[in-house]
Amino acid sequence: MKSAYIMQKEIRESILTPKGFIWYILTSIILSVLSYLFLTNSELSLLDQGQMLYLIMNFITALGVLIGLVFGADAFAGEMERGTLEALLISPLNKMEIALGKLGAAVTNWGIIFVISLPYLFVVGKGGQNVLIGIVYLAVLGTLLAVIFSAFSMGLSARIKSMKNALITSFFLFLLAGSPIFLSTAIRGTWFGSILDFINPFADAINTFDSVVIDSQGFSYQAGRVAIICGYTLLSLWFLKRSLSKLEM
Amino acid sequence: MKRAIVFLSLIILAIAVNYTFASAASRVTVSINPPSVQANMGDKITYTGTITNHSDKAVDNVIAYISLANITQGKESPMDLEDWSANKAIKVDAIPPHGTYEGKWPMRLIDSGSYVAYIMVVDKHDNTPVSSTMSHLEIQRVLRLNPNNVLPIALGEPVLIGLVFLFITIKRRKADK
Repeated sequence: MKSAYIMQKEIRESILTPKGFIWYILTSIILSVLSYLFLTNSELSLLDQGQMLYLIMNFITALGVLIGLVFGADAFAGEMERGTLEALLISPLNKMEIALGKLGAAVTNWGIIFVISLPYLFVVGKGGQNVLIGIVYLAVLGTLLAVIFSAFSMGLSARIKSMKNALITSFFLFLLAGSPIFLSTAIRGTWFGSILDFINPFADAINTFDSVVIDSQGFSYQAGRVAIICGYTLLSLWFLKRSLSKLEM
Repeated sequence: MKRAIVFLSLIILAIAVNYTFASAASRVTVSINPPSVQANMGDKITYTGTITNHSDKAVDNVIAYISLANITQGKESPMDLEDWSANKAIKVDAIPPHGTYEGKWPMRLIDSGSYVAYIMVVDKHDNTPVSSTMSHLEIQRVLRLNPNNVLPIALGEPVLIGLVFLFITIKRRKADK
């Protein structure tokens, strides 16, 4: 319950503000442009419906992870730079409760992005295969990825105590996680690429979307990748807890 | 002079015989169907290639592949079939003597224009690849402005979020006063 108080405070201060809202307007504008291009551009509109849905899902996931990283990096280092961390630490809440409240706000932010994206997912996927099941997977895996990357970035923020450095390190992590996108299909097909794909939670999520939406494969095909993502979720929460023990004024 | 004429005639004869032998040496022929197609962008068509073995021996391990060239004025170029066709090349294990093999090349028509499609067959025992005749392909442009009712969502949602944003801003300003 104490965490819920921090979560509400964060939502009021970071999400329901004019500055916070700009993110959502930009998100919807980008999704509008992408959806319109996918459906009307002479080459893109001929992509398979499942392929379009998969690409939009990847984009939404990446956006959710990216904004989660910014939230995480600001969590403690930002409070410290604004001079508000001391007041937060002397409140009756312990560090983990504060962190869970902030993590809750980051996940709420992902939830808003997901809700904004729903009409686009339905329009782009209309008449295609596996739309509903794809959206369910996006909701579950997107939430887990938001927890993983926000918690990791929050842990860095508590350790590094500099928002700029925490943000830069988090972005490097994001690029590393997104590296399968930059690798060619041939490299991804090698043993090195396969291992990199398998141990990377972001790649696991997008490969799961591919398998569910395009290849229509069942949960038994996804179980291994989902288990790895769940493992990373626990690992990131453990990292956050360890980092909080090092947090002091 | 006579000798020279005889000598030159022999050379020409040798070349002609050699050419005839080379032509006859092509044990297979290939044809493409349909010979011409008129379709719209986004349509799916299938080309059928029929490879015929004219020899008394079985032909094995031949490779057949389809090629597409854009012949639209000003856009002349060979096409990369990756987006157009799933199976570009087919390996045929064996065609019996005087037998035929039928290969299928499904294709999704990605862009408008005038094209020619042709099928090539490569037999490792032949020095010359065998080509089918060219099938003319005319693809009409299709313009869709509001597929899947995307426009109301694409225009409406940013406006709706903008209105919520305005509502929250005004409410906050009133609360601050």
